Amino acid sequence: MTDIDHLIRAIDPAPHAPEQGPGARELRAAILAAEPEPHRPSRLPGLFGRFGRARGTVLLAAATAVAAAVAIGVGLPAAGPATEYANAAVSIKKAPDHFSVTITDPAADRRSFEEAFREVGLNVTVKVVPVAPQDVGKLLGPVVPEGFRWHGSIGVQYVAPCASAFCGKVWMPADFPGRVVLGVGRPAKPGEPYADDTLYDKSGEECLNGYQARGKTVGAVRAEVRRHGLKSAHRLLWTLPDDSFFDAAVPADRVKDDWTVNGCRAISSDTIDIYVNPGPGAGPAPDPLTVRRPEWYDDTTS
Amino acid sequence: MTDRDRFEAVYDAYYPAISQYAARRTSSPDDTADVISETFLIAWRRVAEVPEGERALLWLYGVARRVLANHKRGDSRRAMLTDRLRDELAAHRPPTSTDLEHVRAAFDALPERDREVLALACWEGLSGDQIAKVVGCTSIAARTRLHRARKRLAAALERRPSSTIVMGEA
Repeated sequence: MTDIDHLIRAIDPAPHAPEQGPGARELRAAILAAEPEPHRPSRLPGLFGRFGRARGTVLLAAATAVAAAVAIGVGLPAAGPATEYANAAVSIKKAPDHFSVTITDPAADRRSFEEAFREVGLNVTVKVVPVAPQDVGKLLGPVVPEGFRWHGSIGVQYVAPCASAFCGKVWMPADFPGRVVLGVGRPAKPGEPYADDTLYDKSGEECLNGYQARGKTVGAVRAEVRRHGLKSAHRLLWTLPDDSFFDAAVPADRVKDDWTVNGCRAISSDTIDIYVNPGPGAGPAPDPLTVRRPEWYDDTTS
Repeated sequence: MTDRDRFEAVYDAYYPAISQYAARRTSSPDDTADVISETFLIAWRRVAEVPEGERALLWLYGVARRVLANHKRGDSRRAMLTDRLRDELAAHRPPTSTDLEHVRAAFDALPERDREVLALACWEGLSGDQIAKVVGCTSIAARTRLHRARKRLAAALERRPSSTIVMGEA
């Protein structure tokens, strides 16, 4: 070890490894309660096989038959206008330190959900958004589009075991003055883009059952997508000097057949986004702020 | 061993290291907790991909590194935090020493690429080969980056009359 190394060690901002305290154990339990998604391709089952449509229908029926249970807690108002509220879409019951929420109709009008939240004193904008069949009834968000800068925290915690489409907790400071948006997944119509709240994983996502797109040429993946009877869309994956990255949609003719594919993601029942590493002639990276894609929570008027 | 058992083992073994990694690179307990929770949430969702043994820690460092990079971009996120975790992390933040402020200033003034390899080597105690796995480059490139980063920091410190620096082996 050099003297330089000794000096750097001396300015270590966290020289002592923390023990696992109750908070760390709580986090572990919260993570384990989240739905594991060890294999990304399983995110879109049934889309590419011969029985895709049938499986989607079955999942839809199941999702509307079961309830999605949600509990909202932490930082709740001391006394809400109501302690219990129910309508055709959702019922909410106030417990000593949280609200238990049961979603009975994930495809209901957003106003039904917002009405229930409002009645128990929670100011949440709800969007009923199109999702892949296996995500129907699940929650997206909560999202603070302008960025969360407040005391406390905001988040979602899945709870298991869960016999419903979604079980979990959502927490937020009751006095947070900003816009909080929650999404409830409804079945997407054929060809309708899915709302998605997960960043693309640059280490490579796959979306075609039994076929690895990562590392293949664009031409090869385009052909494979066509073979599945699907359409291709293209996104260039730009890496910045600090190793962060972003992707930007480009027309098909801007992407050469011999460029390399990083991965792919299904964005609707009939379209695949192919994520491509910019190849020769791609030009400089655009400004990330100018190519931001619309997010499901941007428009809260519908 | 089930996925759950495997994740619990990884979490219990490497929570301290990832917690330290995040604390060293963030400025508030909130941000630290965000990086920890996001890193382990990804590990749980991709538990089948987490390698065995020591390589699991390097894999987690790589995930935390990407989480941090995205965090700096300001992407809105869905943190799986608990108030208790944040309080714990706040309690672990030592007061900033002023004795080595010039070292901290010189270190902070280095390019991000230099700071990254120096921190991985000196704070996480990683070798050149291990750094290469975390940042995704060859071992030779990692060792070269480390050597150059040490030289640049030494040069920055030598410009201060109060510092005496002797370079050792890269």
